[in-house]
Amino acid sequence: MKERMSVRQVCFILIAYNAVLKLIIYPSAAASSSGNDLIFPALFDLAMQTAIIWSIAYLSSRTDKSFFQLLESTFNKVVARIVYALFALYFILAAIVPMVEQQLLIHSAFYDTVPSLYVFLPFFIFSIYAGAKSFTNSGRCADICLPVFLISITAILVMSAGQGEYSNLLPVFSHSVPSLFGGALSAAFKYADSAFLLIFMGSFRYKKGDAAKITLSYLFGGLIVIALLAIFYAVYGAMAPSRTFLLNEISVFFPAISYVGRIDLTLLYALDIVILFAIILHIQASVHCLSLAFGWDKRSALSLIVNAVLIVITFVVNNKFSPLYQAASRWFWIPALIFAYVLPLCAWLLKRGDKR
Amino acid sequence: MNGDLQSRIKAIKQKLSSQDILVFEFNSLHGKKFAVIYADGIVDKNMIGELIVKPLRAVKESDGEKEIKLLLASPEVKEEEKDAKVIKAISDGNAALIIDGESKVFIIGVKSPPGRAVAEPPTQITIKGPREGFTEDIKVNLGLVRKRVKSEKLQIKTITVGKQSQTAVALCYLDGVCPQGLAKKVEEKILNKEIDLIPDSSYIAGFISKRPRSLFRRNSTCEKPDIFCAKICEGRVGIIVDGSPIALTVPYILTEDFQSAEDYYAVSYRATILRFIRVASVLVGVGLPAFYVCAQLFKIQLIPAKLLFKIASSVAGIPLSPSVEIFLTLFVLEVLNEASVRMPKYVGLALSVVGALVLGDTAVKSGIISTPAVIIIAFSAICLYTVPDMVETTTTLRFLYLIVAGSIGTFGIVLLTAYILCYLCTEQDYGVPLLAPFAPMITRDMADSIYKANFSALPKRPKVLGSPNKTRFKEKR
Repeated sequence: MKERMSVRQVCFILIAYNAVLKLIIYPSAAASSSGNDLIFPALFDLAMQTAIIWSIAYLSSRTDKSFFQLLESTFNKVVARIVYALFALYFILAAIVPMVEQQLLIHSAFYDTVPSLYVFLPFFIFSIYAGAKSFTNSGRCADICLPVFLISITAILVMSAGQGEYSNLLPVFSHSVPSLFGGALSAAFKYADSAFLLIFMGSFRYKKGDAAKITLSYLFGGLIVIALLAIFYAVYGAMAPSRTFLLNEISVFFPAISYVGRIDLTLLYALDIVILFAIILHIQASVHCLSLAFGWDKRSALSLIVNAVLIVITFVVNNKFSPLYQAASRWFWIPALIFAYVLPLCAWLLKRGDKR
Repeated sequence: MNGDLQSRIKAIKQKLSSQDILVFEFNSLHGKKFAVIYADGIVDKNMIGELIVKPLRAVKESDGEKEIKLLLASPEVKEEEKDAKVIKAISDGNAALIIDGESKVFIIGVKSPPGRAVAEPPTQITIKGPREGFTEDIKVNLGLVRKRVKSEKLQIKTITVGKQSQTAVALCYLDGVCPQGLAKKVEEKILNKEIDLIPDSSYIAGFISKRPRSLFRRNSTCEKPDIFCAKICEGRVGIIVDGSPIALTVPYILTEDFQSAEDYYAVSYRATILRFIRVASVLVGVGLPAFYVCAQLFKIQLIPAKLLFKIASSVAGIPLSPSVEIFLTLFVLEVLNEASVRMPKYVGLALSVVGALVLGDTAVKSGIISTPAVIIIAFSAICLYTVPDMVETTTTLRFLYLIVAGSIGTFGIVLLTAYILCYLCTEQDYGVPLLAPFAPMITRDMADSIYKANFSALPKRPKVLGSPNKTRFKEKR
């Protein structure tokens, strides 16, 4: 079955899913590594990733082929299958940190007492079902998720922006450039969204001007993250690293909350739907790659396998998030660099053939 | 074919042996013998007298089929030779005229089945706009459609479904407006199924749906011909089933349930507000009981402090946990609802007084259930009835949400919502996505979804339906 998305849906994915997964623990980690300069490593990562996103979008204007077809036409089917099998593994790997972050966010924001791990396990029932869906479904879900994301994030921005002390962000560049570069490198695995766009290639029909739309969408999502990073640090200052979850904590000082209750939590619940779909996209991408790599069209079975791996990982890393995040910051930039930077650039060297 | 009158009557009566099949034999003034066979109770006997017996008095002995046909005063006369077809026509409510010495039988339309008059449908009452509603008679219903759509493009295709019931099902669509092949697809889906009886259009709804066991329905229902015609004019196929006052239309999109006939007769601003209210009501109706349980059991901060104190004082001493309490109250509401619908009208009135006032009041006073629980369940029930077409789905969803909220908590609510969204995003019938125009987003169709634009801002038919004729409104200079 040919999986078709519209460019609009790709843009929506790049705005909403790109932003929402960077708003769970990443702001706290960024504040910890870069202090009041936390936005600069983020800006660097965003600029680099935006350039790669543009290059893939521009490549899409030159060919109708998917990345798999490009590999196949340049080398052969075996090479294409090996690369896609590696991509599938990469997407599983890339899903681990957001999935565990989401689990911690749920435990913190959804319950007064710390619930057991079993409360999170129903996620996998949904994940097995949704993971088997095609990119057409991902695109349609993004159509629903973008308004939810924009409304919730705008409300959170409005509720938190007025509570910040923006002098907390001064003086700029108080950290050394190597330290900021280190911060950017450790967060590079968070800015690896181009891998998705590479996999989406051939699933959407390119029209003139779409490269600009796709790139600007990604930039827009990234700028929302940067705005929230700045507000987060403005609100909490030096305490920011100890406030684990931005979404849960950034708007607690909004005066109306004492009258109307934690409406910010309601917004967080709405955003959690977007977070769920953003994580599911990793599983869908992994299932898609496995399906092509092994020439096996039983997506439900593949989704079951991918989720089984993730369930095992969830049990293994339970209560070990801190070492997991440290390891991710230290090592995950390597696969991110390969799959989200090197391979997209290499795609330009592949035989494109004529665009129909 | 035997032309002898008695043997012909005998042959038909052998197959139609039921006692309500009557035979009326009469002679013309010149001695020619005739017999009329009809099913008692579904024909108009006066019409038999006026249109058949009276004119045929003048028939001469030598007159043949042609002369006799000319004398018949009915506009609906068909000739049949085969007994099987004659029997079917009699069962349908026509009269069969047998002429001595002739092989052909005249089938004369004198159908007059018992039925009610055209009245305002009880489920789709409007303040503004037409008040006529469909009845159980397919001919009346088709007449109501023809009355509104006089175009030569209106196509009505009648098929027969049901091995025993032989129910007439009419497919109505506008040629050139309805997508090519859609009516054929619907017809094939209906004819692919074989069943004894079609008592109602809901049976046909099950036939034409890709997933008949889905919690979400796949066709729209309407009791008002004005809505039916409007949907046909958008490019849909309408289905009218004999014996059912509820017509169906396909393809279906979920937003149709949030649209009311009155939206199109009221000012668009008002219609938009009403649609938002309906959407909000459904969300509140489905989610409020679950949310209340979650707030009490898992995240008390969701409730504002002052309200929390009120609730705390109300629930103090209640022996049941919040989830059991809400579940029990909801169960009582569903029982009351079911009983009041089934019971005779006057008993039903007494029941609502006993149920709502005595039972509810006593339960609260005795401290079995709390006041907030009663308020929440009552409000939830009212909310769901703002979109009556979705009640079957939303009441089931309310139970699902409640179970999930009581067991997993708020994350369960979020997960179930994501699951439903993902499911709805996937589903499509006849190539039309269920969640259009939101997923996939179709900007043009948004103008008549949750938001209702003025009709002058809706010059095009809904894009999602894929009508070959896109324009439905243009201003003449």
